[in-house]
Amino acid sequence: MSAPKSSTDANSAFVTVRDLKKTFDVSKPWLERTIERAPKQFLKAVDGVTFDIKKGETFALVGESGSGKSTVARMVVGLLPVTGGEVMVDGISMTTTVDSAAREKLRRRIQMIFQDPYASLNPRWRVQDIIAEPIRAFNLLSSPKDITDRVGELLTLVGLSPLDGVKFPHQFSGGQRQRVAIARALASNAEFIVCDEPTSALDVSVQAQILNLMRDLQDKMGLTYLFISHNLAVVRHMATSIGVMYLGRLTEVSQAKEMFRNPRHPYTRMLLDAVPDLGMSGRARTPVQGEIPSPINPPSGCTFHPRCPLVNDRCRAEAPVPIHGVACHAVEEGRTGTMAVRKSA
Amino acid sequence: MTQPVLSVRNLKVEFVTRRGTLRAIDDVSFDIAPGEVLGVVGESGAGKSLTGTAIIGLIDPPGRIAGGEILLQGKRIDNLDKESLRKIRGKRIGMIFQDPLTSLNPLFKISEQLVETIQTHSSMNASQARQRAIDLLIEVGIPAPEKRIDGYPHEFSGGMRQRVVIALALAAEPELIIADEPTTALDVSVQAQIITLLKKLCRERGTAVMLVTHDMGVIAETADRVAVMYAGRIAEIGPVREVVQHARHPYAKGLMGAIPTLEATASRLVQIPGSMPRLTAIPRGCAFNPRCSEVFARCHVERPEPMTVGKSEVACWLYDTKKEAAA
Repeated sequence: MSAPKSSTDANSAFVTVRDLKKTFDVSKPWLERTIERAPKQFLKAVDGVTFDIKKGETFALVGESGSGKSTVARMVVGLLPVTGGEVMVDGISMTTTVDSAAREKLRRRIQMIFQDPYASLNPRWRVQDIIAEPIRAFNLLSSPKDITDRVGELLTLVGLSPLDGVKFPHQFSGGQRQRVAIARALASNAEFIVCDEPTSALDVSVQAQILNLMRDLQDKMGLTYLFISHNLAVVRHMATSIGVMYLGRLTEVSQAKEMFRNPRHPYTRMLLDAVPDLGMSGRARTPVQGEIPSPINPPSGCTFHPRCPLVNDRCRAEAPVPIHGVACHAVEEGRTGTMAVRKSA
Repeated sequence: MTQPVLSVRNLKVEFVTRRGTLRAIDDVSFDIAPGEVLGVVGESGAGKSLTGTAIIGLIDPPGRIAGGEILLQGKRIDNLDKESLRKIRGKRIGMIFQDPLTSLNPLFKISEQLVETIQTHSSMNASQARQRAIDLLIEVGIPAPEKRIDGYPHEFSGGMRQRVVIALALAAEPELIIADEPTTALDVSVQAQIITLLKKLCRERGTAVMLVTHDMGVIAETADRVAVMYAGRIAEIGPVREVVQHARHPYAKGLMGAIPTLEATASRLVQIPGSMPRLTAIPRGCAFNPRCSEVFARCHVERPEPMTVGKSEVACWLYDTKKEAAA
């Protein structure tokens, strides 16, 4: 496999997301709205998300369901049009560039792996056709022989046999299907892969195989990952840096090690405390209070304030802006001392 | 010794198919004491859920219980007729399923579903049953139950729905609760709430729980004992601390190492090569032998039976002290 070429050097960001926004119209149908004289209703699924990913690194987005992680992922790959903000990959804007040829070229380098390998592979296609689809779609190879060779090479790369190409997806287990999905993502020599919960449909032992495979491929080919997960332990294993999302906003962005050693935002601490403890240290757990509110009608000020132990009047009125990666008034004002700091492992 | 709430003895479950008889559960035995939480873990297809289904007598044809005994408070329940089983189900054995949205009927109010369950298993009148339903909702931590009780399932969030399902399971004060992946469909934060709740309720009432899950973290937090299942058999069963921290069976060891943790520093996870065999092709001898790193000749010919090692029981020839191997 040819080494990925890139115009960016190792230190600058390969993927840049700036103030990304997505609003969905969830209004009732026109007639009902007119009769009831109700205004249009909007849901802010993603509200100003900003992060950078360096080449060869993994940026993880974590959060509860409904926090907008997957919406960000879909906007980054271009499956959803953005409402506002910008996504730049390797210096080329995905959202504002008018030059469609440049964007088309960029598309090849971005691929996605989905959560459910049972739904993301066409059951009527043979695996060799599934994997060859990006090759054909981007006209990377033309002779059938070359394509077959390339598919065999990809299958070997993800730990399957080239002979598996003639099989159909139903003949594989969940883990093997996810391998096929990874092979398909790599087929167009992608450099940036967006993984939306790639292992949450898999058993732990299979999950370990897939996570190891993804890391091996990253080392081998210098892949850049945007990794979406709700499982903090998986994220701990994969990520270089982490963004915690809550109701469409990033509450904390920091280096992975730093975040687990010293979580700063109260929400991050809550999430970390909620993870079941395999070490059986007998640590007393304070179960997280409450649940994520509806994004149609988010709380005023800091959206986390109804669940936050450090809430005060300012939090209820004023939305915090990120300072050194943390969007929290309490952290800014140094009021976090009252919360027990999680013991580092 | 007190009598176990549930005793499963040499349970076998088979599926008769055109391609022959598949044995999905093969010689599984365990006990659950009053107030005890037994965790059952394993990969999908290991037979964890099927064991639960067999206990409550809900195996659909072509599946059938092919052998063994299931005893509830010392009385056999696997040979009862449908009608007597139906009376046990819900009354003496409660169930909590994975997806709270599918275990509640979307067309009926929460109150109707709770009252129906309560009245089926007791002789309360409607208003008493309703009061009891409200009490149950308070117990499982639903705020403003007098108002919420008349809501439909879709008006509740995932965590709240699971609380309602737990309330339903508790309605008849069962002796045993079978919880099949009760937190898998929930977020970690909500999962922690549900685990805490389940644990508290069982401690208070002395209910025995069989907790089926693939999440070792949940087991470590909740269970008193753990059974690790592989290809329809119990590979290792023992106190939770023993199994989680000093797993003995190579499969259990691999499974523990495969779990990413918040504390781990290793850059690679332990990986068990291959995947679980299909029921049509269970290897001879120990079913784990093709994937086992410590396999030796005996594993290919002879099936290991559970043997006592420390406080656990492990089905692995590595721990056979009597060295007179199969001739």
